Amino acid sequence: MGVMALVAAAIVFGLGALGAGIGNGLIVGRALEGISRQPELRGTLQTTMFIGVGLVEAMPVVALVLAFIFFGKA
Amino acid sequence: MFGIHLDLAALLTIGITSIIVLILAISGARRISVANPSKLQNFMEWTVEFVEGIIGSTIGSKHGKGFIALGLTLIMYIFVGNMLGLPFSIVTEDHVAWWKSPTADIAVTGALTVIVIFLSHYLGITRNTKHYFAHYFEYKGAMLILHLIEVVSKPLTLAFRLYGNIYAGEIMISVILGAGWYGFAPLAVWQGFSVFVGAIQAFVFTMLTMVYISQTLIHEEGH
Repeated sequence: MGVMALVAAAIVFGLGALGAGIGNGLIVGRALEGISRQPELRGTLQTTMFIGVGLVEAMPVVALVLAFIFFGKA
Repeated sequence: MFGIHLDLAALLTIGITSIIVLILAISGARRISVANPSKLQNFMEWTVEFVEGIIGSTIGSKHGKGFIALGLTLIMYIFVGNMLGLPFSIVTEDHVAWWKSPTADIAVTGALTVIVIFLSHYLGITRNTKHYFAHYFEYKGAMLILHLIEVVSKPLTLAFRLYGNIYAGEIMISVILGAGWYGFAPLAVWQGFSVFVGAIQAFVFTMLTMVYISQTLIHEEGH
């Protein structure tokens, strides 16, 4: 049970980090494109980008908490 | 095992957060001057305008006047709560924690979520009754299952987003502290990042509150 818990922690957070990386990358990339197209919308786009990052990071952060729980049980 | 666990650290820090927000708000509103505003007054005015901006882009200034107090309370309380656990953490023997961020406890974030979700449903049912219930059966019931999933997942994600971000940040602090003096620079970097994350999460929570309220309260034409 000990080893499986560690493997579970690693998988849970690894996949979560992958999702966070891809998601955030897409968000910030599109925001950058938008800013380059319309520099006057910079404030709005930046704000929306941060909201998007906060939303997307929710699941990977829950995965992090789960990983700590598994890690503690190992 | 039946019993209600009262987390002492959570209760203590909830009270302290409330007191800090109260002191900030009251001192910011004291001796208001138009020509010569104090720094705190400026800061509070900026915060109020910020919340008005959030409400303006979601509910709209016409219906949203009454929600400024809610938004202001939420953003200040959550921000102060997120910052509280960063300077220090007091853990005595037998792993009894006496000090942590109140928002690092699922009970506290769950309570905030319950308030907000209850408010959005209550406002939808009392002020917007016809459209609120019609909303569920749009597109001849095809959206029903999606809406039901939404009803369950909105509170869950709202609570867990805030809880996970702050709790994971605190755990990371204790992990970095395990490295002793080598962890000095990483700790400084991580504290800075945690301040940033705390601010973002307070903003996202408030923004999502306003979005959920606007979804049940406001009925746009052409739906």
